[in-house]
Amino acid sequence: MNTVCSAPLPVIDRIPGNKGMWAGILCEMTEFALLFAVYFTARAYFPQEFRTGPLNLNLFAGTLNTLLMISGSYFVISAVIAIRQNRSNVSVRWLFLVLLAACGYMATKYFEFQWNLEHGIRGSSGVFFTVYYYLTFTHMVHVAWGIIGVLWIIVRTRAGAYSPADYEGMESFASYWHATDLVWLIIFPLFYLLR
Amino acid sequence: MTQQQTATLLWLLLVTLTLGGSLLGETAEPGHTLMLFVVLTMAFKGRVVIDHFMELKTANRTLRRLMHAYFYILPLVTMLSYLFGDLP
Repeated sequence: MNTVCSAPLPVIDRIPGNKGMWAGILCEMTEFALLFAVYFTARAYFPQEFRTGPLNLNLFAGTLNTLLMISGSYFVISAVIAIRQNRSNVSVRWLFLVLLAACGYMATKYFEFQWNLEHGIRGSSGVFFTVYYYLTFTHMVHVAWGIIGVLWIIVRTRAGAYSPADYEGMESFASYWHATDLVWLIIFPLFYLLR
Repeated sequence: MTQQQTATLLWLLLVTLTLGGSLLGETAEPGHTLMLFVVLTMAFKGRVVIDHFMELKTANRTLRRLMHAYFYILPLVTMLSYLFGDLP
């Protein structure tokens, strides 16, 4: 794959970002693996509840949030590509789009939870909904950390902290955001599509 | 093709798959075909993000294998739990 950039191409066997962030990402993936194990166990014991559960959820909100998470991932890799090309102003614009996608996700979640309550969907409405609230709320907390992270990266990029030679901080945040996106790419089909 | 153009194309592909999946989820009859589509797109979308957005395709082998394994195991367990639920 060709790249148009002033920095050298990524070296084979390198770690995107830094090791500390990857320790955090692997912890995050393990945390969600445990929560997915709860989902699969509950599904095995209550298959009927998990077949009918998705019919009660707001598919539009789930789809919109998937589009926002995917777009956030695309915006953040675009920000990294821009900084490799020494275009920090362009990079900041991409980062603002990440922020917009993340805030859009939070707003959609807020309206989805309101919609749920209006339709009598609570954590106590059945095992499917208990697992749904637990997993989606935990994911939402990770998105909130991401919002704080992107704000910090925007400030640092505007201050000229990153260059084609050194953008480890931005790439670490990008890796975190991708991991949060990856988790949602599993949550969405499990709760909204699989009947 | 530049890396930016590749990323844009992959983003459009992911958006299309998401919209297609939601349309199927809304209209298709539940069953093994829908389940198969769901697990395959889950695995494919994960692989695209890991390889091209996270850029692990050309990065540390251990991290790449761990992340790839996640998106082999989760779709497989999803399929098994779905089929297991069919048993009497």
